Amino acid sequence: MSLDPVFMPVRELAEHVRARRVSPVALAETFLARLEKIGPRYNAVVTVTRERALAEARRAEAEIAGGRYRGPLHGIPYGAKDLLATGGGIPTTWGAAPFREQRFAEDATVIRRLEAAGAVLCAKLAMIELAGGMGYRQPVASFTGPCLTPWSRDAWSGGSSSGSGAAVSAGLVPFAIGSETWGSILSPSGNCGTAGLRPSYGRVSRHGAMALCWTLDKLGPLALTADDCGLVLEAIAGADAADRTTSPRSFRYEWTPGARRFRFGVLAGALDGVSDDMRAAFDRSLDVLRDFGRVEDAALPELPWEAATRIILQAEAASAFDDFIESGGVAGLTAPEDHFLPYARDAVLAKDYVKAMRIRGLMARDADRLFERFDALVAPGRLTVATALDQEFRGGMRGTARDIMGAVGNGAGLPGLIVPNGFGERGLPTSLQFLGRAWEENTLIAAGREYQARTDWHTKHPPVEA
Amino acid sequence: MADREAAGAPPPAASSDPAAAEVAALFALVSARYGRRLDAQQLEGVRKAIEGIVAQARAVRAVRLGNADEPYQTFRPYRADEAPRP
Repeated sequence: MSLDPVFMPVRELAEHVRARRVSPVALAETFLARLEKIGPRYNAVVTVTRERALAEARRAEAEIAGGRYRGPLHGIPYGAKDLLATGGGIPTTWGAAPFREQRFAEDATVIRRLEAAGAVLCAKLAMIELAGGMGYRQPVASFTGPCLTPWSRDAWSGGSSSGSGAAVSAGLVPFAIGSETWGSILSPSGNCGTAGLRPSYGRVSRHGAMALCWTLDKLGPLALTADDCGLVLEAIAGADAADRTTSPRSFRYEWTPGARRFRFGVLAGALDGVSDDMRAAFDRSLDVLRDFGRVEDAALPELPWEAATRIILQAEAASAFDDFIESGGVAGLTAPEDHFLPYARDAVLAKDYVKAMRIRGLMARDADRLFERFDALVAPGRLTVATALDQEFRGGMRGTARDIMGAVGNGAGLPGLIVPNGFGERGLPTSLQFLGRAWEENTLIAAGREYQARTDWHTKHPPVEA
Repeated sequence: MADREAAGAPPPAASSDPAAAEVAALFALVSARYGRRLDAQQLEGVRKAIEGIVAQARAVRAVRLGNADEPYQTFRPYRADEAPRP
């Protein structure tokens, strides 16, 4: 293959595939080889799905040759976080040693939709065990080992969609699917310097995905650009009878360049605890955002945004894994803290959980009211660049750091987009996040595209030797 | 017997600090249920986690709500002939 597809955005790859300048089979072979050879370097891969990938790629090639082009994901390789069920005997481990032999009879809805779009599943990607729901506080919390950001030999990829971030960043797949309950798409995207999109709650079916928190879990794409996230979201979004929380709203990815000026808000508290390098990158980003919008301060009414969201998370996670915890199965998990922290969840009282769910109604309404004045809230993507592998990380989900953007976004079920915006300490990526009104993914992606049209951070890639 | 062993944890301490008293009571509950599985260091980790849980619960309890403020989650009665087909 004369054309080098590695680090090429999906939109460009798709044009080459559609025009038959590149073969889906050759594409699959290229990325399968990278997954097999380079993936272990970062602990990014659980299972390379070679046989399935080549079968799907051959089918795509035949269809395109026969004049049946399905759209921009046709023949494009991807990886899926290993909490999405896959049939055909492919394991779905949930990142956890006690489930390493687990298999399902059928694909998750997202996998089926990507297959229908012609995408080629090349790998199940590494993740924090049980999506971090047991309370982990260090990178080692995965039975496949700590996942590394490709930008360093000793820094964490983020989590819990760890392999999804590392694989896209290292050019092992053009895009990946991750999940977020609180931070699990934005964290690895930020640490690995990729784009990541957390859709509105209910936008994408969770059927066939490991349940951590029924009212918080979302599935979404990680890719090289905001634009690519839009292409993938269109393929996976939509109502699903198998997941009654999905919305009947359809999603069609739309963007008209330069069509609007944006109203950006910086939420009070969003800069609390942010490191100097992240803050400097954010300040530079604000200058770029002012080129196509205005930036003003924003504030939400006083509510226990973080506490309420955390109570919901802890109570639902404890219930989702009740049998596993009660049986003592957590002793088989990798992170030492996951052996005992789940037991503490018995201290979450039912009345407090219900109160948090009642407060959630206020949160949802207050957040929506704020978006009458703003198209998006903006903030540094993370508090710091990627932590070292041997360090505990801080975060809102654990209550060890402020994360008002994560609490509002996940507590109210709102979409979020993260894109790289520079480099900070130790040469690691910094990031910029956008938080939007429910169902306004197109607005966030449009803002992200405008930002990326004016910057080149997304075109920089880690030095990955094949 | 299991309860007595698990109760390696002391009984809830009488405290003038309501939060500390609640932490002690909840810690006693968790210790009674799972204490046999955990060593002293792990139990201390559980206690710290319960401190966080109580702090966030108290923040939530401090919010005044009206009678009409329902949980933001909808329950629907089920009928098989109305259920969507996957």
